[in-house]
Amino acid sequence: MVIKVLEIIVSPILAFIVGVFFLGLFRKITARLHWRYGPPIIQPVLDLIKLFHQQGFSHGPVFDLGIILALAGSIILVLFIPFGGICPLSNSGGLLVILYIMLFAPLGIALSGGEGANPNISIGVSRKLILALGYEVSFLLVLLTLMTYYNTISIVDIVENQRNFQWALFSPLALSGIAYFLILPAMLGIRPFDVAGAPQEISSGPAVEYGGRHLGLFHIWHAFSLFIYIALFVDLFLGGGSNPLTFFIKMLVVFILLTFIHGVFPRFRIEQAIKYLWKWPVIISLLGLILVMIIR
Amino acid sequence: MNLAQLGFISFGGAFLTYLLGKVSSKLRDAFAVFISLILIIPILYFYGKTEELTYFSFLGLPLLLRINPLSWIFAIAIQTITSLSVIFSLSYMKGRERLDFYYLMLLLVNAGMLGIVLSADLVSFYIFWEIMSWSTFLLISYNKGPALQAGMKYIIMSIIGSVAMLIGILSLYANCGSLDITLVSSFITQASSGYTLFILISFCIAFGIKNAIAPFHTWLPDAHSEAPSPFSAVLSGILIKMGTYGFILFMYAIAGLNLFLNIGGGSFHYLFCVLAVITIIVPTFIAVLQDDAKRLLAWSSIAQVGYIILGITIGTSLGFVGGVFHFFNHAAFKSLLFLSIGAVEYRTGTRDLNSLGGLIKRMPITFTCALIGALGLIGVPSTNGFVSKWLIYKTLILGKHPFLAFIALFGTWGTILYSYKLIHNIFLGQLPEKFSNVQKSPVTMRIPVIFLSLVVVVFGILPGIPLKVIDTISTSFGFQPQNVEIWGIASETGILNMVNIFAAICVALIIAWLLFFIGDKKVNISQDNSYAAGAHVPRDKYHHTVEFYNPLSAMIRPYFRDFVDDFYQWLANGVKNVSDKTRKIYCGDLGYYITYIVLFFAVLIILKMGLKLW
Repeated sequence: MVIKVLEIIVSPILAFIVGVFFLGLFRKITARLHWRYGPPIIQPVLDLIKLFHQQGFSHGPVFDLGIILALAGSIILVLFIPFGGICPLSNSGGLLVILYIMLFAPLGIALSGGEGANPNISIGVSRKLILALGYEVSFLLVLLTLMTYYNTISIVDIVENQRNFQWALFSPLALSGIAYFLILPAMLGIRPFDVAGAPQEISSGPAVEYGGRHLGLFHIWHAFSLFIYIALFVDLFLGGGSNPLTFFIKMLVVFILLTFIHGVFPRFRIEQAIKYLWKWPVIISLLGLILVMIIR
Repeated sequence: MNLAQLGFISFGGAFLTYLLGKVSSKLRDAFAVFISLILIIPILYFYGKTEELTYFSFLGLPLLLRINPLSWIFAIAIQTITSLSVIFSLSYMKGRERLDFYYLMLLLVNAGMLGIVLSADLVSFYIFWEIMSWSTFLLISYNKGPALQAGMKYIIMSIIGSVAMLIGILSLYANCGSLDITLVSSFITQASSGYTLFILISFCIAFGIKNAIAPFHTWLPDAHSEAPSPFSAVLSGILIKMGTYGFILFMYAIAGLNLFLNIGGGSFHYLFCVLAVITIIVPTFIAVLQDDAKRLLAWSSIAQVGYIILGITIGTSLGFVGGVFHFFNHAAFKSLLFLSIGAVEYRTGTRDLNSLGGLIKRMPITFTCALIGALGLIGVPSTNGFVSKWLIYKTLILGKHPFLAFIALFGTWGTILYSYKLIHNIFLGQLPEKFSNVQKSPVTMRIPVIFLSLVVVVFGILPGIPLKVIDTISTSFGFQPQNVEIWGIASETGILNMVNIFAAICVALIIAWLLFFIGDKKVNISQDNSYAAGAHVPRDKYHHTVEFYNPLSAMIRPYFRDFVDDFYQWLANGVKNVSDKTRKIYCGDLGYYITYIVLFFAVLIILKMGLKLW
C-alpha cells in the first residue's frame, strides 16, 4: 500500500522531469541541426519560473478549467502507463481506459480555447481535431493488433510478454511498430505535422490567448504529452524497461530520432497531412493486423 | 396494484388530460405532470418482480400483460424520460396552439410504449405498437410545414414495418395456434430453421425500421429535427429503442441464445454486427457535416443505435450487458442533449450552428449540462457512456473481432468531432450582438436537464447500480453471469474500477489546480480583448464557427451522403412517374372510353374463339 502511494507520487514527478528535459533537449538539437547555437537545456525550467510569476489573462471559467482538465488528463495517463516497472494503476481497465483518458487533453485544450473566442484558436482547434482523426485510424489499428496478438487489453501484460528481448518490434508486430513510428510526429504535433500550433501561420493556434500561468500549464502539459506518447511506444514495441533507467534510455533514442525528423522537415498543410496519414500508416498498420489475424 | 391498472391509468390519464384541457389549461398542465410522475411509483413497485395476468379475451385469444427485469428496465426508462419531457414541455410549449392534443399524444405515446414492453402476447404487442406509431406520426408533424413531410416519411416506413410484423404474426398464428410469447417461444425452438429465419426477418424489418439501423434509417434525421424538442428527446431517447426491445425479445426471449447464434451457421447474427458497424461509421461522419443542431443529434442517434445493436447481437455476455446498458445511457445523455438544444432554441429562436455562439455567458447551467451530455456521448471516463462502450469494445477485442472493434472505436473520434462542434458552435466562441440579451432558461427547463446530468455522472462512477439489473436480464437469457460490483465489473480477463478512475481524475484535477493556483493572480478580460497578431478582431463581422471542419468536410462530403435516402427517393419518384403514365389512360374523353370498351370486348371474343381467327 505504501509502495503504491509512493509510486503514485513519484511517477508524475519523474514524468515531469523527463518531459521538461526533453523540451530543453528538443530546442537544443533543433537549433544545432539549423546551425544555430540554441538556448541552454535548462531554458524550459527558467521559462516556467518566469511564466508563473507573470500576470495572466483569463477569458472566463472554462478558459481556466479547460487547461486544468488537459493537464489533469496527462497526469492520470502517467499513472496508467508503466514506466520501467512503475505502474500505480495497472489494473483499473487497461489500454481501453488509456485510450479514453487520452481524450481529456485535446478536449480540455479545445474547451479552453473555445472560450477564448479568437479566430486563430478556432482554426487551431479545428485542425487539431481533424489531425487527431487522421492519426487515430492507424493508432487504433496498431493497438488492436497488439491486443489481438497478445489476447489481452492490459498494457502491463503486453509489457510482460516482451520480456527478455522478445520485443514486439522484432516480431510479426513489426509492421504495426513502423506505423506507430510514422504517426508519432503527428501525435506529438511536431513537424511535419505542427499544423495545429503553427506559430508563423496562426500564432500558435490554441495557445494564442495564453499568458502567465495558463501558458505555464500549457508548457507542462506539452512536456507530459511528449513523455506519454514516447513512453507508450517504448512500452508497446520496445519491451518497456526492467528499471526506470533503461526505460529512459530507450525513450531518449526514440525522442532524438523524432527530433531529427522535426529538424529537417517543412510543414504539411492540413489536407496534405490527412492524405498522408490516411495512406501510408493505415496501409502498413492494416497489413500488420491482417498478418496477425492470419498467424493467430 | 396490478399491471392492468397500470395500463388503465396510463391510457386513462392521457384522455383525462385532454378533457381537462377543455376546462383549464393550468389544470391540464398540472395533471399531465402529475400523471406522468405518479406512474413512476407503480413501476418502481414492480422492481425485481415477475408477474403475469390476462386482462382481456379476444376471439378466444387471451391478451396478456407481464413484467420481468427486461420489461422493468425499459419501463422505468420510458416513464422517467416522458415525465421529464412533460415537465420540459410546460414552458417550451407555452402559448402554442392545440396543446390539449399535444399532451394527449405525448401521453398516448408513453402509454403505448409501456404497453409494448409489458405485453406478453403478440396481439397486444401489435396493438400497442400501432398506437405508439400513429401518435408519434401526429406529434412529429405537429409543427406543420416541413414537419408534415418528415411525418409522412416516418409513417410510410413505419407502415411497411407494421405490415412485415403483421405477416409474421399471422403466420405464427396459423402455424402455432397461439400468440402467447412463451408458447411461441417453445414453438419456434422446434420449428425448422428456415421458418425461424422467416419469422425473425419479418419482425426484424419492423424493429429495424423503428430502431433506424442502416438501411432503414432514412426517416429519422427529418423526424428528429422537425419534431418539437421535448418530443425529440422522447423520440431519440426511448421511442426508437422500442426496436431494440423487439430485437432482444425476438432474438433472446423467443428464439433463444443458442438458436439465434446458430441460424445459418452463425451468419445471421454476424450480419447484424456488420449492419451495426455500418450504422456506426457512416452516420457519425454525416453528423460531422450537419449545420442544424438537432439534425446533428439525430444522425448521432443513428450512430449510437449502432453501438447498442452491436453489443446485443455479438452474442456474448459482456456484449449483451454493454448493449443494454448503452441503451439506458443513450436514453439519458441524448435526451439531455435534445432538451438542452431545446432550451437554447426556446431562448434564441434558432438552432442553426452557424449563427449561434458564446452562450456560455448567458446560459451557464444549460452549458454545463449540455457539456456533461456531450462527454457522456463521447464516452469520457466517469460518465456512463464510457462503461457501456468499454464493455462492448472489450468483448469485441477478446472475441477476436478487431475490425468490428476498430470501426466502433474510430466512431468515437467522429463523435468527438461533432460533439465538440455542437458545444463550441452554440456555447463557446464569440457571442453575437443579437444574442447579448438572452436570458437563462426557465426553471421547468432546468430541472430535467440537471436531473439527467446527475444520472449521466452517477451511473458513470457507480455503474454497478444499473448493471446489477441488466446482469439478471442477461443471466435469464442463458448468458453466464458477470461479477458485477457497485464500482464496476470484475471479470477474470480484466477489471474496470470506475471509483478508482474517478478518484485518480479528482486527484489529478486537484494537482493541476494547485499548480494553477500557485501562479500570480490572473485578470479577467472580455472576449473582445484578444490577440490577432496586431490586427483588431472585429465583433460580429465574421463568425469563427461557420464551416468549422472545412478542410475535413471538403474531403469527405462527396463520400458521406445518405445514399440510401437517395435510392428511396429515386424509387418513390419512379413509382410516381409510372403512376402518372398510367393515369394518362383516363383522359376524360368519352370517345376513348368507348374505344377501350370495344377493344376489351374484341380481346374477350378473340380469347373465346381460342385465338383461332384464321
